[in-house]
Amino acid sequence: MQITKIHLIASLLALFAITGCSSSAQVQVERNFPTVVSKPKAVSASIIFNDEFKNYVATPSKNTTIAIGSAQTLMLSNAFAGLFNKIEFVQSRDQVSFENALVITPLVQEVQVSTPSDTYLNVYEVWIKYSLDIQNAKGDQIDNWFMPAYGKTPDSFMLSKTNAIEEATVIALRDAGAKLLLDFYRIPSIYNWLVRERKLGDEQ
Amino acid sequence: MKKSILLISMAALLGGCGATTSIDEYRPNNSVMEINSDESVVILGRRDAGHYDTDREFISCVSGKMKGADIGVVPEQQFIDSIYPWFEPRTAPKGLKRLTRLMQDPDIKSQVDIQRIRYLVWLDGSTKTDNQGGSISCAIGPGGGGCFGFAQWEKSSIYEAIVWDLSDFSEKGRLRVDSAGTSYLIGAVAPIPLLTPVKKDACSSLGKQLKKFFSVQK
Repeated sequence: MQITKIHLIASLLALFAITGCSSSAQVQVERNFPTVVSKPKAVSASIIFNDEFKNYVATPSKNTTIAIGSAQTLMLSNAFAGLFNKIEFVQSRDQVSFENALVITPLVQEVQVSTPSDTYLNVYEVWIKYSLDIQNAKGDQIDNWFMPAYGKTPDSFMLSKTNAIEEATVIALRDAGAKLLLDFYRIPSIYNWLVRERKLGDEQ
Repeated sequence: MKKSILLISMAALLGGCGATTSIDEYRPNNSVMEINSDESVVILGRRDAGHYDTDREFISCVSGKMKGADIGVVPEQQFIDSIYPWFEPRTAPKGLKRLTRLMQDPDIKSQVDIQRIRYLVWLDGSTKTDNQGGSISCAIGPGGGGCFGFAQWEKSSIYEAIVWDLSDFSEKGRLRVDSAGTSYLIGAVAPIPLLTPVKKDACSSLGKQLKKFFSVQK
């Protein structure tokens, strides 16, 4: 009887040890992001964060999910606030109240993850591919801007796969904010729109 | 007699686990470093290379070793967050020209001034594992378990630190640390690791040298 119990405990321990090595990861990204150091331009914008974007859960592989909805909403809100001096965040197009503004709808196109076992590199990598649908207040499309973001983190001996992917995702989200701030006013169609709007403003 | 032989063998094995570390320092001129205890230095990791990342653990280790220098040390993440997004991997200045242009922005400059940061130290490098050899196998079953075999691997840490002065946007010096050593794992029922602290040695040597670099010569 005693031996059976010992066998049972030892088998359970071995089972726990084996399942502990499974490669699935459910990552929930919940972080605070720093406010941006940037002087916003005298431009108004309505940002549409719909429910799908706010609650987005990426499934880069069948064993990995990354819930980035709240983190990406927070990060991009921060970054947009550094671009425009008059800004509103709404849930849908019909809630837009600004008359002469850019209407921007961010969307996640794809999230990709690579682990050291995929690449034989000692890093975890995350790519988040965003697209920004940019329209004017009348609903005419100005651009559909592709915005990829990238983050990587070293594979540490004691770092679990979940923690490593979370860390790389946070770096990718910070990279998205940096890219947005750095490149938004360099988009040719946005630059042209600004010039046209200024001309119209001067004429009126 | 047997005990003494065992002890001598163990000591020889452990003694063999020491890392070989060398450090080089280069200063572009003989000007004396201006060091003021009211000012600070921040140690930042380069993270723009494709195949490695200068890890935060190493940066905080070096920062920790600099405690006691004649200048304050600002934590890396605190500085990067305070100036977001201008020191992210995508945006961080790679040269002094870009840094000069960045500091012309009054908002960025004021954040640096608030923290009284005088020097930036860029750390770039990584720790690699090479020449892995031997094999060890472990087995576990209801009746017990154990490991048998022998494995060894070599580790090398190479890091370079570049010191920038924010008062005149000049390079004040470069320090480079090379550390290498071999670690062993012996499986004799229980696995016995004989690890060489290569990275720890590199951190300790670089930290001490940087502390000297930022200390007033008496």
